[in-house]
Amino acid sequence: MQRRMTWKEFCFILPLLLLVSVFSLYPIVSSFVYTLFDYQTNKQSKNALYTGPVLNASLYAEDCDYLVHYLKKDVETVDASDRATLQTMMDTLAGQHALYADEKSTVTLSGDTGSQIAALIAQTRRTVETLGARYPDLRIVQKAPTLLDEMETCLITGNFVGLSQYGTLFQDTRFGQAVGSTFLFTIISVALELVLGMALALVMDKAIRGIGMVRTTALIPWAIPTAVSALIWCYLYDGTSGIVAALFTRLGIIASPELLLTTQGGTMFAAILADVWKTTPYMALLLLAGLQVIDRGLYESSAIDGAGAVRTFTSITLPLLKPSMLVALLFRTLDAFRVYDLIAVLTKGTPETLSIYAYKMMIGQSNYGYGSVIVVAMFALVALIAFVYVKVLGAELIRE
Amino acid sequence: MTTIPLTQPIPNRKPRPRGRTLMWALIAAFIAVNLFPFLWVLVTSFKPGSEIYGAETAFRLIAINPTVGNYRTVIDKGILHSIVNSVIVSGSTTLYVVLVASMSAYIIARCFFRGKVALMSLILGISMFPQMIIVGPIFNMFYQLKLLNSYWVARAYSTITLPSAVWIMVAHFKRIPLSVEEAAKIDGCSQWQTLWKVIFPMAAPGVFTTAIMTFIAAWNEYLLTLTLNSVKDYQTVPVAINALRTQFSILWGEITAATIVVVIPTLAIVLLFQKQIVSGITSGAVKE
Amino acid sequence: MKKTLSILLTIALALSVTAALAEPVAVKFAAQGDSTPATQAVIDAFNASQEAYKVEWVDMTNDSGAMREQLTTSLKAGSSEYDILSLDVVWAGEFAASGYIQPLDMMLEDAGLNVADFNAGSMASGMYNGKQYVLPFFPDLGLLYFRTDIVSQEDAAKLVAGAYTWADLLAMSEKYAGQGGTTAGFVFQASLYEGLICNANEFTSNWKDIKGGLEMMKQFVQSKATPDNILNYTEGETANSFVKGESVFARNWPYQWGVIKSEGTITTDQVAVAPLPGGDTVGGWLLAINKNSANPEGAFAFMQFLNSEAGQLIMSEQGGYLPGLNKMLTDERIMTADERLSMVGFQNALKTTIARPVSAEYSKVSDALQQAIYPFLNGSAEIDATVTAVEAALAQ
Repeated sequence: MQRRMTWKEFCFILPLLLLVSVFSLYPIVSSFVYTLFDYQTNKQSKNALYTGPVLNASLYAEDCDYLVHYLKKDVETVDASDRATLQTMMDTLAGQHALYADEKSTVTLSGDTGSQIAALIAQTRRTVETLGARYPDLRIVQKAPTLLDEMETCLITGNFVGLSQYGTLFQDTRFGQAVGSTFLFTIISVALELVLGMALALVMDKAIRGIGMVRTTALIPWAIPTAVSALIWCYLYDGTSGIVAALFTRLGIIASPELLLTTQGGTMFAAILADVWKTTPYMALLLLAGLQVIDRGLYESSAIDGAGAVRTFTSITLPLLKPSMLVALLFRTLDAFRVYDLIAVLTKGTPETLSIYAYKMMIGQSNYGYGSVIVVAMFALVALIAFVYVKVLGAELIRE
Repeated sequence: MTTIPLTQPIPNRKPRPRGRTLMWALIAAFIAVNLFPFLWVLVTSFKPGSEIYGAETAFRLIAINPTVGNYRTVIDKGILHSIVNSVIVSGSTTLYVVLVASMSAYIIARCFFRGKVALMSLILGISMFPQMIIVGPIFNMFYQLKLLNSYWVARAYSTITLPSAVWIMVAHFKRIPLSVEEAAKIDGCSQWQTLWKVIFPMAAPGVFTTAIMTFIAAWNEYLLTLTLNSVKDYQTVPVAINALRTQFSILWGEITAATIVVVIPTLAIVLLFQKQIVSGITSGAVKE
Repeated sequence: MKKTLSILLTIALALSVTAALAEPVAVKFAAQGDSTPATQAVIDAFNASQEAYKVEWVDMTNDSGAMREQLTTSLKAGSSEYDILSLDVVWAGEFAASGYIQPLDMMLEDAGLNVADFNAGSMASGMYNGKQYVLPFFPDLGLLYFRTDIVSQEDAAKLVAGAYTWADLLAMSEKYAGQGGTTAGFVFQASLYEGLICNANEFTSNWKDIKGGLEMMKQFVQSKATPDNILNYTEGETANSFVKGESVFARNWPYQWGVIKSEGTITTDQVAVAPLPGGDTVGGWLLAINKNSANPEGAFAFMQFLNSEAGQLIMSEQGGYLPGLNKMLTDERIMTADERLSMVGFQNALKTTIARPVSAEYSKVSDALQQAIYPFLNGSAEIDATVTAVEAALAQ
């Protein structure tokens, strides 16, 4: 017998809805919008979402001011016949500067203002070129070309690109490699965690004494911040003073100690090992909880039936453990798939997984448009993985 | 078709002595592998810089000239202050997240409303979304509200902690039989009274578990603090430790000392609350 | 009653106005922590020198990559939380192109300053589309350190004069390795990170001889005169090896001189510095003004003070930073305070500085260069493919 929802109940979930909307939904929706724009914050012509023509007014005014500044002295030095030309140019530019000087960023261009500005730039360029033939030493002659180029970039036509950046994704080999690395990392580390975690869980299930000790030690790697544990491993893997790197070299697993953190294969191995160390205990605890709800009587009847340990494991433990195992695997797979802190701290970005690639694109190269496309693609893959687990393998997440 | 010879003893669930030895060996190996990195970090934290690099001294178990200088340096650099920051930020996150999560989880567990499965899926979906996507928009929001470089960063932590908190709380509320509530109603309790006097006390262990899990998740957060609190005064532990890397070298002595200092609170939490943590990890994952 | 109130109000208002006038305007300076007292001292000196502005230091993280991300995230939002920004030399192009910082030409002209007065490499790093966006905070440059007690006087003279090639250095490294308790001839930075680009810049003579330079670099890597794990060397490993007397030659920044003094098993008497054969990569930090700063005049006043004689003296005497104001390089007081500047080899190196590529997207260029060069050095890529990749990266 469940109650129906009234306004009173609604008030109870309102804070949740508010927090989720502000801190999760709004950013996620923004990112979807970003994917439709060639949004690059380090290019002034693309540093916002422009659907129509705009003028980068602050830069345009600044450039006009620079030209006026150079012209002021030049006017004095040229022949009287050219003085009027320069004076007119200076007045026009000063007028433009005055018009836009107070603008903080961009202004929307209406009517034919844009083409007027373009014409003004072209006109100034021609005048400067003509003068350049006779007065090569004029400051305006030397400085104007770069400034005029920059002024042209102030006329922004808009950066709405629709879905075209999703098309780019399919030709992006780096994206392909990132998908490959991410799946490789996820599959190997989750598989290892499952096998080791299962072994550990079976052992813990039997050992009644000492289980507290094991459980405590198991929780420590899980509980410390990934950014800290990655730093610990960074030290253990260090090519000159890392003991694990030295040990692996001694054992012949790697040819020399520095390979762990500097080669593609080495970093993949290093990252997987650190991840397995940190999360195997977590996996073991999840599986152990599943093991402990299996009816002990089933084992006894299996024993009476004469089934061996292997047979008991495959015919009783595994099938009954399947629901817990699937949920544990799903959570771990999704976590591993989004790995970021570990690799960012351990190697500053190799192997390049999807999170790392997206972060480098967005924060490193300030390309929020394409970076968001990668994140959205990543989200699609995450959804696909969840779908496979829930629909194909039958993991039950939401029980009603 | 096999028949069981009557002479065969019924196998005991207790393993044979050899199996036992193997089992304990496995446990010992596990504990060793688990703790080795911490032990080695502890060893290094007492070495002076000159002994950390260099083939002969780097792998010595005991430093030739043991020193507490590394600890002194990181304490001078304000590692204790960043622990205080972490406690403030994680503590306040825990308070409001647990409150919000309990309120909504109660409704989700007890009420029928349209879009409930959709809401739960949405919450789950959010927790699966790559984290960095929220950083840019949240920075802009915090900038406009003038909340950068403050403890308000805790507010943004709800993104990472709220979904699992709701999840755990729903599982706990569902375990409280509906009959308890109905009995309270028959005894003349109002809806509020039922909630405060009957349900919440019964849900206390769940609330506690959620609190611990939320606290740990907030304690471990890295990306948001890094971006929202660029000023050292407000930086939490994970960010502060990584800031010990300098332009030209990684000072392992200081980093290991800082690691030991910040692992101590975590260790304390684990030792004190391991039952609640295990329950938090496993709620929702085990079908009972 | 009403009258008294209004009088009181007027007085209060007048008081608050005078208070506001007396109160200096706060100017926020975003810079990393300084292990020396110099930055704080120069801020204090500036604050004491005038009454209009008060510079406040915002202590940023020492992890440069993280600091750049913090700054860009903040500036992208149009924030004015910092007025003065300290920038790694390689960030300036990007910050200028993004419109995050303001050009200084007008202010420089008004103050009667010329671009040529300051360290050329630093200023070039902050020149974008014909506008000057930066002043030096402190310059830095790559140097060759060598052991005078091992290297012959004849070879030392060649080194100090810069009259040698990379091939000569390789020959010397192999010749001297093992002498005087050393185990390696030459150590430099070949790990997969930004330092690799600084070193490759020097090996290829500012990317003029890419093929020859990279092949030479690989010869060093393979030579017995460099450590087996040289591909993992950053500045930390380099300094450690050299100051413990394990190597004869080392390529490192000027800070290594201080490391020798503070924790070396060798002394500075056993060491001299020289220019590198292909030029000396400029590093260090720059100062720029946030475009959205509410106090650009205050910001510039501080930058000008730091780059004045008084400011440069503080930076040098209290922090051992190299002067960014050229005329101070030969200033008596600074040469006394900073013994490195009295070395001929050091002064020669200052004359042959080279910059890394100036680009609006430097991180992308650097990333591509690292990914192209490192595989060649560790033997997993061929030279021709590497040269093509390097050229493509530089053309970006």
